[in-house]
Amino acid sequence: MENFNNSIVLPENLPAVEKKTFTRLEKKYLQVILARIVIFFLIFSGAFIVYILFSNELPPRIFLVIAGVVIFLFYAYTFLINIIGFRRKGYLVRENDISYQTGIITYRVTTVPFNRIQHVEVNQGVLAKLLKLATIKIFTAGGNASDLSVPGLPVDIANNLKSFLAEKISEHE
Amino acid sequence: MNNVDLSKPTRQSVKGLLIIFIQSIRQGIRMFWALIAVVVLQKNILDNKYLIGIVLLIILALLIVHTILYYLNFYFYVEGGEFILKKGYLHKKILTIPIERIQSVNTKQNLLQQFLDVLTLEIDTAGTVAKELKIHALEKQYADRLNELLSKGKTENFSKDSEETEEFSKKNEQQVMALSPSDLFKIGISQNHIRAGLIIIAFGMQIFNQIQDLFREKADEYSGEFVNFLSGSSLVLIIFLIIFFLLVSILFSLFRTMFKYFDFKLLKSEQALRVQSGLINKRNVLMPYNKIQELNWETGPIKQIFGIYSLVFKQAVSGQNRRNQLVDAPGCLENHLELLKTDLFGEEILNKSPRIFSDKYYLRRLWLIYGWLPSLALTPFFYAEWIFWVAAPVWLILTAIYAILILRKRYFRINNNQVRISKGAIVHKWKQMELYKIQSVKFRQTIFQKRRALASLQLTNAAGSMTIPYINELVAKKIYDYLLFHAETSEKSWM
Repeated sequence: MENFNNSIVLPENLPAVEKKTFTRLEKKYLQVILARIVIFFLIFSGAFIVYILFSNELPPRIFLVIAGVVIFLFYAYTFLINIIGFRRKGYLVRENDISYQTGIITYRVTTVPFNRIQHVEVNQGVLAKLLKLATIKIFTAGGNASDLSVPGLPVDIANNLKSFLAEKISEHE
Repeated sequence: MNNVDLSKPTRQSVKGLLIIFIQSIRQGIRMFWALIAVVVLQKNILDNKYLIGIVLLIILALLIVHTILYYLNFYFYVEGGEFILKKGYLHKKILTIPIERIQSVNTKQNLLQQFLDVLTLEIDTAGTVAKELKIHALEKQYADRLNELLSKGKTENFSKDSEETEEFSKKNEQQVMALSPSDLFKIGISQNHIRAGLIIIAFGMQIFNQIQDLFREKADEYSGEFVNFLSGSSLVLIIFLIIFFLLVSILFSLFRTMFKYFDFKLLKSEQALRVQSGLINKRNVLMPYNKIQELNWETGPIKQIFGIYSLVFKQAVSGQNRRNQLVDAPGCLENHLELLKTDLFGEEILNKSPRIFSDKYYLRRLWLIYGWLPSLALTPFFYAEWIFWVAAPVWLILTAIYAILILRKRYFRINNNQVRISKGAIVHKWKQMELYKIQSVKFRQTIFQKRRALASLQLTNAAGSMTIPYINELVAKKIYDYLLFHAETSEKSWM
């Protein structure tokens, strides 16, 4: 491979990260996502209502209606996008790297080679704990930009994955 | 060659007592400045001179005891390939750094340290402990010896098959470039004055706000007068003010450059680069080649006249923002740049690879975001003020030009070892890295991009990331797979 332009055609034999080969997240995880949105919505609209109740001078009614509609539409949109987009979320573990994909409007996929992983962590939020789900976090030396986390894994799979990765990391040291 | 024994636990220089003492005072003031301010402002406390004297004496005694204890309990040595630092008397701390993990060794000297002939040594690792690895009063000999050892350690670690591990000494260092005062003058003039001007204005605003808080009522009068004065005065005055600000900011950047980069030298040895500079605060950074993740360089319209580039060596970062610690050369000529690139990346072959530009659709998106969206968002004002009818088209034209400038510079070259990206609108910036230093790769595609078979890539190394926006989807995928293949099969140490 003298020149990459040649190799643009050449690496046909390089393994490609294919969208379809990804493992989807546990269906239960959608509940966590939606619950989070609901909680956020309640806090936000609560603040909005408190503001209306306690402010001396109300802005014109039309303004309030528009604000309410905008907030409602925003949440309807977030809800829908998350439900539709959930099918897209998934991870892929290959022989030498791990990938995570997400996003229906903006599709993103990140891959971290095993030999670049610094350490691995398994986290469990309160909501996830109720549903026996866990998030695996993978840290590299590149700071936040290159860290990768896979949410919505069953606890045992997350732990297995963690020990698998830990083994892979020690191989490369 | 000095005969300092590194393996023997060593304390700081005795002169360090003074420096520790001054630092503790500084720290104390920083911590308790609010309290001190209250005490000073409350005049009736100050009246009791006897009490004040006793309190001051106690504080002084405590500080002296602290200084001595701190000094006695602070020592460091090298053992089994690790640099070990012990400190603290109440709360003891031991810091251990494997020598091969050390990213760079920096020394700094402020005026007092120059006078006492000691220096601050900072050891940089990619980890978070690095911040604590500072020795504030080290004798120069010890620092030199440590530098020597570190460079030697590198040689042994990373060139196993090399002919002979050469002793590192300053003698076989070669000077790559040095900046004379006249060079610095040129560099100072060609700095980004608009940015400097903004800093000054922001700084001025801050002071103004603080003054306003203090003397609210009077300030209102004055600022009222000021506004009257401004609105009553002619255009000439405004132009005069702009010129004044420009002059101030030129002087400001000139002095800043002069002080920071005074006597700037970039030296190279077989395994490392060394940078030294500074008038009041002297700094000296040793940086092994293989710890450099990325080379950034840029030139602007004024710099281009002088043929000056400024460059930054990017190393692994440790979580927190450490912009101040970046190693940079404020200005160098093209041949220096070429020389450095050859040292870091080998012979220049990237230029043989074609430039791959971002798609024209990128321009449309930029124009939409910077031009149309703000203009459309302001449409309600169109009813209120006629000036918006003029401002909006002007803004659209300006942003269109800006977007065109961006697109013209937005390209990258890649071969089977390296990638270089180019970007910028008015200032032209380049970033170059070796492919095996990749930490992770990200592929991004919006549904709008998908319709046009475009995608963006983000390549991350241990020092940061570079983006390649809006390129052909297939090319992006190929590069994605190729980079992973490269990182996964590479056996080279990337840090």
